[in-house]
Amino acid sequence: MSVTPSIVQYEFIGLDAKVVKSSNPSVVGIAGKVDDETRNSLVILHDGEKKVIIKDTAVFEFVMPNGTVVELDGKVLIGRAEDRLKKRPRRLW
Amino acid sequence: MNSTKQIALQRVHRLFSLAKQVIHEDPEKAQHYIQIARKIAMRTRLRLPKEYRSLVCRKCKSFILPGVNCRVRIQQRREPHMVITCLNCGGHSRIPLKGEKKQC
Repeated sequence: MSVTPSIVQYEFIGLDAKVVKSSNPSVVGIAGKVDDETRNSLVILHDGEKKVIIKDTAVFEFVMPNGTVVELDGKVLIGRAEDRLKKRPRRLW
Repeated sequence: MNSTKQIALQRVHRLFSLAKQVIHEDPEKAQHYIQIARKIAMRTRLRLPKEYRSLVCRKCKSFILPGVNCRVRIQQRREPHMVITCLNCGGHSRIPLKGEKKQC
């Protein structure tokens, strides 16, 4: 899995994630497995607790299955899991 | 197969493997993962792969795993077939077993 704009379409449930930046300072630093996903939020298991993090205002760091670490702005992740499959951003970087 | 369908297939594989790991601890979460996988497959007009089709109940569409919440029996009468009983809803689904034809 190479890092291409289509990375937005991949599955994030089950990956290790970390909140790098957020406008809400109390969620910065939360790390753990992604447990669930909704249209506007990600649910991360942090020390056995479920933490709901709003996608719009956060920047996430994901560890992909092949080991690469990807930092993604939450703004491009907005959308339901099945709707994200159809959207393709132009260029992210 | 275009690239969107390939990505969808990868996601279906991951979700099913996650559901299998999780079903013993949290059955509801496993059902939720299967719902997402089915939605992804429907949205991209992808048929679920053959090995997963028997893991979803045909009647109530819930995740069934042999030995956990379904019963698998083989019947020899009429045509040899496999009967999968979902223990959530009680529905049956029959799958024909294609074998070598007996020569009289």
